[in-house]
Amino acid sequence: MADVTLYHWEPNANSGKPMLALMEKGVPFDSHYIDMLNFDQHKPEYLAINPQGTIPAMTHRGPWGERMLVESTAIMEYVNEQFDGPALMPADARARWRIRWWMKFMDQWLAPSFSMFGWKYFVGPNSLATHGREKIEEQISRIPLPERQVAWRKAVFGLFSDEEMAESSRRIEHGIKMLEAELGKREWLASDEYSLADVNGFNLAYAMPLSQPHLANDDLTPNIMRWLRAIYRRPATQACWKLGRTRMASRVEILEQDYIPPRDESEGVTSGVR
Amino acid sequence: MTSMILYHGEPNGPSLAVLAALAESGVTAECRAIDLLRGERHILPGVTEGTARDMGVEGEGPVLVIANEDGGGEAMTESVFIAQFLDECGANTLQPKDAYAHWQMLMWCRRVTERCAPAAAFLGCKATAHAALAAMDDSAFAALSSHIVSEDLRTRWDMIRDGEFTEAQVNDSVRHVTGAVAMVEEQLADGREWLMGDVTIADFETFAWLNGMPALLPEVFAGKDRTAAWMDRVRARPSVQSALAKASKPAPEKSWAPGPEINRWG
Repeated sequence: MADVTLYHWEPNANSGKPMLALMEKGVPFDSHYIDMLNFDQHKPEYLAINPQGTIPAMTHRGPWGERMLVESTAIMEYVNEQFDGPALMPADARARWRIRWWMKFMDQWLAPSFSMFGWKYFVGPNSLATHGREKIEEQISRIPLPERQVAWRKAVFGLFSDEEMAESSRRIEHGIKMLEAELGKREWLASDEYSLADVNGFNLAYAMPLSQPHLANDDLTPNIMRWLRAIYRRPATQACWKLGRTRMASRVEILEQDYIPPRDESEGVTSGVR
Repeated sequence: MTSMILYHGEPNGPSLAVLAALAESGVTAECRAIDLLRGERHILPGVTEGTARDMGVEGEGPVLVIANEDGGGEAMTESVFIAQFLDECGANTLQPKDAYAHWQMLMWCRRVTERCAPAAAFLGCKATAHAALAAMDDSAFAALSSHIVSEDLRTRWDMIRDGEFTEAQVNDSVRHVTGAVAMVEEQLADGREWLMGDVTIADFETFAWLNGMPALLPEVFAGKDRTAAWMDRVRARPSVQSALAKASKPAPEKSWAPGPEINRWG
């Protein structure tokens, strides 16, 4: 039994961040898969660990007893500072500032737009089809934080207005252009060294060539594609994505392809993984 | 050390937090006051890398411009991260060294910047910035607005000028400020002087966003004696006093400019 236990869903978005950070650092951990679409995160046994019912969460046992940590980006910073292993933040203070800026920008501005599309076209309909409306309503009513209840209803039932979807679409397009420009400046995102920003960004962006085929491909965004493939080839990334159980995680295999041409936007929607 | 210029608004909100952190850090930076509500942040001289200024989540916060070797300048934004940067370049006293305590500080700052800050900026702009922007003539406002790169930030400016403050948003904002005050009151329950034990960035960030709120929401602060005493302690620190002394007019806690957006997911 390892000192660290990580409660996570698929290697994707927020769950994938601490998974990949732990693997890059070489920290052994017990992996505890939480099936988010089965609402495992709102069951009493999980709420006993993380009363907020959010995933991921990490526990770390030591002389201090047991610590419980939440919020994926903050967990990554803890993992990097607490454990030996390769540094995932550079020594240069200015590069560290830039990494933090990009992580916040992705976490708060860009990722919510991606997840709105993900829920609307993929996760929400799948969840409804599997569990039915009544069971889902009952599960949502047990979520402790009121704002999370609102967010879950919107997500599962696809209650996003046309304006919200249009705004998310605009942000995705603009964000991809920003990423492409930034990755044209340095080998890695925001720094000359592989860092938490790359771990964070890969979790957000690995499936873009599938979900946004008209915006992210080898013709339009060569820097993004170079960067995604470089991260994909890392042993930690390979090991991490093997922990995935659904076709959400297996989307990463698109990065095996040496050349990904532009395709129509509709192919991103109809592929069912947007 | 590379030369740095800190462009800041009136000492309130994120500008106050960074001015205080600068003073605590001992780092040398030239401070230049700008009028955030005139959009001056968007026309700073010498910025050749402006992504963080243009697209920062924080809205109209301070901008630290660092000189590049090529003569250009990179604009740094987000008050917590600027404060971390200054601390790490200087005295290195404002962040816990222990990884877990550092995580606690980062989590605290996230709760403040994600929930309290958008609410405080919303209520503050309703109270003061709306009237100032509404009084501008259309062509002057259009000229200001044309320099704002971020479409969603520009929309927030428009809504403040037009007086679009829905009852639901006002109530939600009051709820978030109430939550932040409750969080401070509870954190101080064990008799500690500062939020994380020792003085950290969390004290300055939290104080800076709350300092204008007692005047707007006195009922929220009623009976919160520990919070009131902590605010007095933060205010009394020489770094905060020197920051507040940079005010160009009385009552800087009434100075607001468009802040972070309210969470789109509700």
